[in-house]
Amino acid sequence: MKRLRGWWLLAVLLAALPLIFPGNYYINVVGSSAGLFAILAVGLNLLMGYAGQISLGHAAFFGLGAYASAILTTRYGWNPWSALGAGLVLSGLVAYLIARPILGLKGHYLAMATLGFGIIVHIILVQTGGLTGGPDGIGEIPPLSIFGWAIDSDERWYGVIAVTLLLVVLLALNLMDSRTGRALRALHGAEVAAAMMGIDTAGAKTAVFVLAALTAGLAGSLFAHQQAFVSPDSFSFFVSIELVTMVVLGGMASSFGAILGAVLLTLLPELLVVFEDYEVLIFGAILMLIMIFLPQGIAGGLRDLWQSRRGLLGRKGGVGQDAA
Amino acid sequence: MLLEASGLTKSFGGVTAIADLDFLVPEGLVYAVIGPNGAGKTTLFNMLSGIYRPDEGRLTFAGQTLIGQATHQIARLGLSRTFQNLQIFFNMSVLENVMVGCHARARTGLAGALLRLPRMRREEEQIRQWAGEALDFCDLGGLKGRQASELPYGALKRLEIARALAARPRLLLMDEPAAGLNDTETLEMRGLIRRIRDQGITVLLVEHNMGLVMQVSDRILVLDYGSRLAEGTPAEVRANPQVIAAYLGGEVHYAVE
Amino acid sequence: MWDQILQFVLTGITLGSTYALVALGFAIIYNASDVVNLAQGEFVMLGAMSAIALTAGEGVPLVPAILVAVLVTMVVGLMLQRFAIAPARGITVVGTIIITIGASIFLRGLALLLWGKDIHALPHFSGESPIRLGNVTLLPQNLWVMGGTAVLVLAVHLFFNRTLLGKAILACSCNKAAAQLVGIDVGRMLLVAYGLSAMLGAMAGVLVTPITFTSYDAGIMLGLKGFSAAVLGGMGNPMGAVAGGLVLGLVESLAAGLISSGYKDAIAFVILLLVLFLRPSGLFGRASAERV
Repeated sequence: MKRLRGWWLLAVLLAALPLIFPGNYYINVVGSSAGLFAILAVGLNLLMGYAGQISLGHAAFFGLGAYASAILTTRYGWNPWSALGAGLVLSGLVAYLIARPILGLKGHYLAMATLGFGIIVHIILVQTGGLTGGPDGIGEIPPLSIFGWAIDSDERWYGVIAVTLLLVVLLALNLMDSRTGRALRALHGAEVAAAMMGIDTAGAKTAVFVLAALTAGLAGSLFAHQQAFVSPDSFSFFVSIELVTMVVLGGMASSFGAILGAVLLTLLPELLVVFEDYEVLIFGAILMLIMIFLPQGIAGGLRDLWQSRRGLLGRKGGVGQDAA
Repeated sequence: MLLEASGLTKSFGGVTAIADLDFLVPEGLVYAVIGPNGAGKTTLFNMLSGIYRPDEGRLTFAGQTLIGQATHQIARLGLSRTFQNLQIFFNMSVLENVMVGCHARARTGLAGALLRLPRMRREEEQIRQWAGEALDFCDLGGLKGRQASELPYGALKRLEIARALAARPRLLLMDEPAAGLNDTETLEMRGLIRRIRDQGITVLLVEHNMGLVMQVSDRILVLDYGSRLAEGTPAEVRANPQVIAAYLGGEVHYAVE
Repeated sequence: MWDQILQFVLTGITLGSTYALVALGFAIIYNASDVVNLAQGEFVMLGAMSAIALTAGEGVPLVPAILVAVLVTMVVGLMLQRFAIAPARGITVVGTIIITIGASIFLRGLALLLWGKDIHALPHFSGESPIRLGNVTLLPQNLWVMGGTAVLVLAVHLFFNRTLLGKAILACSCNKAAAQLVGIDVGRMLLVAYGLSAMLGAMAGVLVTPITFTSYDAGIMLGLKGFSAAVLGGMGNPMGAVAGGLVLGLVESLAAGLISSGYKDAIAFVILLLVLFLRPSGLFGRASAERV
């Protein structure tokens, strides 16, 4: 299947890595982390890269999923899978409710509104100590199990996250290569024209916003069980910015670009451990430099390179017209 | 009558763009709207597409009122449009652009897209075919695989038309299709507009190129300062002294074949 | 009870003055270049931190330290426009937002590197003996903040309405091409706008830091809340921004005092969302029409 070439490559890569380097910290632990963020990034990319919207508060949905799982399993003894489901419902519902008013905004206003939303959720997580454990968070979250088989080792988490990532990417690829996907991309390309083609632009924006929120909620629940601990720090404004950076760095409108961005940004702190004091400075510098010099991200830059190679040389006007 | 307007009025702040306008567009014609800049032509198109809401008046399309309807709802009634400033989806290929045009003719929703059910795949094939036909109709068949951003201006104008036609509209609003085209391309555009009409599609045309307007239109509405100055066949409009005075000015010679 | 409220009001006006200056800075840059400068809060932080660094130990006396600090921050503002914003021509709105966020993070990292994570403060300008007005107390520094802000706002107002330079900047914001055609050097006007905003931010920082202290990450929330204030007042309306800042400060202080202090940071953002949803043009802005 030519269409899914990239997906198969990814699947092979994900499967091969732990086999070639068994028990490797970088693959199992850092890789799992990168994988979770990749899931988040792929979801956010649907919203930002394909549909052309902005969200500077995406970590809020990550947090909603995580806290739903944490609270329901630790305080109410729910089955982790049911809690995961509840987390999805919560993320999706909140997204649905705020989508219409927020996505009616454009440009700066949309960006700042999503930012405001993200901060409000974060503050609520910190302040409702009785429910969420406040700044100290919630610990001792029970592990996730599949048919009685507990996922309690780094290797197993790598497996679960890799499978989830592949599933999410598959769905994203399917979505983009469809009538709905074209409608979303049309939304980005020229919103008025999209409406003129019969596309319910408000409905489409809501749908993609909810989808992105659902993937984030899913990642959140997995995160909660993987870490066995959640605290508001993991869902702050910074994390939202990191997510946006991943999508932008990797390249908008490319699920694989989003994965690349997630991997790079997860590896960055590991690489910068030496430069610990400079970490913040460097991160800021990177953000500025990408947006100034490579606004289409790495994947976009590669795409442009590829297309200019394919040759726009020697083209005359009126291509496609036979001489009259 | 496919399109009926009566008493249409639209103001922006202190400026009245359209003032108490009436007109009737019969089905199956090429109906042109001309007038000097600022006469209200684009405002009229925007009202027809649901982008602006008229302050007063009635506007019906195939018996249904257009006022208060959202743009995408109007599109689904059978009205399609090209734009003065190209609104091509540059982030997609030529074929995909036209496939979007088929949006209203298809049904697959989110679930079908995510799961890629067989019915969805069949529909995709169908959409691809419809899009291909529209591209061929506009002489763009050879460019299917290209990115829209690679096309020259003239081809992009035709791409927008192909996209609008893929929706199989009853009424096609064309906003300055000949703008920026050279003489050869304008000649081809004339042929294309005639072919569209011959397909049974009603064309509402806003255009500055008088030669093209006179040659391709069946009826013409002349606007000035947002109101109707004259309406009739090209011959009638050409001969109307008010029109000549207000717009065409003095002696104007244009090629008539 | 009323005394308590009055106390909160006074705190609110002080707080609001800072927000007002930050919001004013936002409005000026937005007017001149259509950019929402999310590094605005960092100007406040830099102004304060630089002044503190200069006056530390046996260092420079207060007034020269403040002047130098403000100048340094202005230079940072100019560099931001010249090296981060100007090169990114033709970029999307998301793009500029991310660039300014990047700049804000960069400046924060710089401050972290230079001054660490500690909290610092400037000495009070004219002593710390509280002034009593009935049952309400006021610090002299409160008066400095309120007075200083009033002077700065007035100066900015006069600048834009009475000086040629100010009007040239306004012209740029209305129509860049037309401004160029009448001989206005748009690039230079942008630099002036950024420098001016940076100056306002730095002054705000210097004025308020004796009371509120500062640290390397003090800028973030200020910047975001300042933006909310600018939106509340009507994005692009400088005096509206000032009003928005004062209103925000008052509401935040009253809510923190009377309801709950934990959620006080959320107030600015709830207000932001409400304004954006219900009345995007803010209190004093004009609704804009989009051309198709």
